[in-house]
Amino acid sequence: MTSICDRQRAIARKSDSRYWYQHPNEAAAKLSALKYLKRAQLLRLRHIRHLWKVSIQLFTSLFRGLFIGLFVALVASPVPSALANSDSNQAATLTSRSYTVGALAFAAPEIVYQRWAPTLARVTKETGIALELVPLRPDELVERVSNNSLDFIIGNALITVAFKKDYGVSHLLTLVPLNHANPEQAVGTALISRSSLEINALSDLEGLRVVSSDPNAFGGFQIIAGEMITAGIDPLNDLRQLEFVGFPQEKLLDFLREDRADVAILPSCVLESAIAQGKLTRGELHVLLPQFQPGFSCQASSSLYPGYAFSKLGKTDHDVARHIVRALLDIESQDQQAILGRYHTWSVPVDDSQVFTLLQQLDRWPFVTNWQRLAEDAIPWALVIAIILALGYLHHLRVKRLVKKRTQALSDEMTQHKDTQKRLFEQQQQFYRAQRVLLTGEMASGIAHELNQPLAGIRYLAQGSIYRLLAQQTDLQHALSKILQQVDRAQNTIKRFRQFCQQPSVYQDCDLKELIQDTLNLMQPDFKRMDLNPKQFLWPLTVTLDISLMQQVFVNLIRNALDAMDETNDPQLAIAITNDSENAVIVVSDSGIGLSEQALERLFFPFETSKANGLGLGMVVCKRIVEEHGGKIRAFNNREASRTQHLPKELGNEFPRFATGLTLVITLPLKENVHV
Amino acid sequence: MCNLYLVDDDQDVLDSLKWMLEGMGYAPQTFTNASSFLTQVDLHLPGVAILDIQMPGVDGIELLQRVKQQESPLSVIMLTGHGTISMAVQALQHGAIDFLEKPADGDKLQALMKKASLMSLDAYQHKEKASSVAQRIASLTPREQQVMHAVLAGKLNKVIAAELNIAQRTIELHRQKVMQKMQVNNVAELAYLMAITKP
Repeated sequence: MTSICDRQRAIARKSDSRYWYQHPNEAAAKLSALKYLKRAQLLRLRHIRHLWKVSIQLFTSLFRGLFIGLFVALVASPVPSALANSDSNQAATLTSRSYTVGALAFAAPEIVYQRWAPTLARVTKETGIALELVPLRPDELVERVSNNSLDFIIGNALITVAFKKDYGVSHLLTLVPLNHANPEQAVGTALISRSSLEINALSDLEGLRVVSSDPNAFGGFQIIAGEMITAGIDPLNDLRQLEFVGFPQEKLLDFLREDRADVAILPSCVLESAIAQGKLTRGELHVLLPQFQPGFSCQASSSLYPGYAFSKLGKTDHDVARHIVRALLDIESQDQQAILGRYHTWSVPVDDSQVFTLLQQLDRWPFVTNWQRLAEDAIPWALVIAIILALGYLHHLRVKRLVKKRTQALSDEMTQHKDTQKRLFEQQQQFYRAQRVLLTGEMASGIAHELNQPLAGIRYLAQGSIYRLLAQQTDLQHALSKILQQVDRAQNTIKRFRQFCQQPSVYQDCDLKELIQDTLNLMQPDFKRMDLNPKQFLWPLTVTLDISLMQQVFVNLIRNALDAMDETNDPQLAIAITNDSENAVIVVSDSGIGLSEQALERLFFPFETSKANGLGLGMVVCKRIVEEHGGKIRAFNNREASRTQHLPKELGNEFPRFATGLTLVITLPLKENVHV
Repeated sequence: MCNLYLVDDDQDVLDSLKWMLEGMGYAPQTFTNASSFLTQVDLHLPGVAILDIQMPGVDGIELLQRVKQQESPLSVIMLTGHGTISMAVQALQHGAIDFLEKPADGDKLQALMKKASLMSLDAYQHKEKASSVAQRIASLTPREQQVMHAVLAGKLNKVIAAELNIAQRTIELHRQKVMQKMQVNNVAELAYLMAITKP
């Protein structure tokens, strides 16, 4: 009564009905029992598919297609509608309705009807329960069982076990056959041939002409088929000359006698009963690979299995079943009904584990593949797969488009990056060029100044001497005039040199923050190298200045700071912009080694340097530029006790006060009116 | 020749310049920085100052500005080691006589100094005259000033009398007094005096 059971039944019903309705033709029906078994296999497959489907869902959800998974679940999940059974209302109407008994029949329903009808009639008479006997072919039987339109079944051991397994059919009674004491060993298969033919193993059958009545026949095919499968033989494919010739089974003996076949697969005892009835002479035919079973009076080529079983469907009322079983058990072997039914008595169910094994063997047997059936079965799956593939393809298209789009964006960005890099490189080049020119200019200017003063002195003195000469000292006058000329010549050279090296200043309004940020960008490689992130305390402040010159100042200050921190463990750099009422103030502070007192005093003197290969002009240039802008620059060591009073009051508390290193403060007049 | 002052932070250059000027017959006073110049020189007297522009502390341009702020009659000549146009313009704007590059040629400098000396004296005299005229004007009563301005405007006595609503005779007396106090003999002389001392 569990929902799983219901659900399986529902699935089976669904797929079975679809199958059976679409294959009413006889030929297909012939294989129906095997197909039924196959379907059991399909059910298991369905479990696997279910797992597969779950994994598909996971897979698709990975592709952000959770909705696909939901869709799949909607389309493919078995409908778990619990079919309400109407068991309870049956007990009250014990006799008011008739119960249907399905009896397995292969070829001749009338024979089957004649066999079981007297037995059922007796039961009806004794219990008052109306029973309707319906002989059914295996496929019809399966259909009826799956439709729940039967109440009881009389079938062979194999189909009963299969129903037990798949439809919850309850095995009530086992038929005890005539002549055999043990109901567990009621039927086997006999491989019969003419006495002249002998084989040693089942595999020898492969080259022979083999006949059987029906692939669904239990003793007549399935038992030996199970044993063949165990022996590694696929009966339908490996027995190349296998032929199913239909009922009655005695017909197969004629095939042998007429040499239309070499071997006949028949249930046990068929040969013996034919001999008993005088249809055959003993010794004409014999059983191949005979196995003697104690207590079994016929020869068989296979193991023995229980015979027919009487079963009830799960929904059938227990009380009704109890009455019927009691009536059946009452039948004695000498009763008319038993004789007509060709059985000894009914007995309690016997051990059918052997049959289970056989069923499993048959289940594993790769049956003839019904491609059409499989195709139809696969349609929903194909649809689902198609939808998944379609969605996958859409996803693929989308991804492709996105890839294209993002590749474009990436390449745009790369181009942009390249441009930026190029621009930065150019800026750097320009900067270094400017620096070179500036340094040359500064050197020229320094040299010019240093030379100009003594030259001026010489000239003044010489001319002063001329003024002091008497009119007649013409030779001295001449010589002194020559001195003047030489001085003038030297001065002209210096002047030209200076003019050549000097670059005119270009003053313009400029945002200090932007300028400093540009400078920091320019020096980004150095920061990266030192793993340093400068702390910036910048805000926009417009000052009139020469951008390229002032940039030189910042670069020089920062480079000096970085050089001073070359061997510092934790290099830090802070830059701030602030202002008072008249001046913009720029503060650059590092955590480097700082300077000695002497070095600090001579920081802004030309040709003073602490660097191995420095020129000693950097800070001089800075000072000159700042002063040219009308500003001031000063420096102090961070370790100085008085450092706080050097810092502008307007500087916020956030600005770090490093324990070591140097701080430089530049003040630039906000109102730029004096350019000296 | 009036007083001559030299200001340069380089002692050697200062001395050699002094040597040259002495050779010309001048007796310059020398200063090595702006503050000593400002403390030791009487800026109200005529004179010629030769200033170096590049100096530590108060530089030449600033010194020039301070001198001119005090309305000194001093003539200032600027000297520079390496001059630029903007520097020259600035110097002249602030009232320098001329702007020379170091080292200045003695002859050129001499000519310039002569001119500067004259200008300084001129300025001094002009300043003196202007201050005496200002004194004379200050000695006039308000009524006399009124009458003087009316006379300078070319108005007749009777017109002035009508405007000020006083007797013509009184106007004549005021007019006489004005001529007397302003130390002029006629209206044309008075107008000339006023014109030349107009700031």
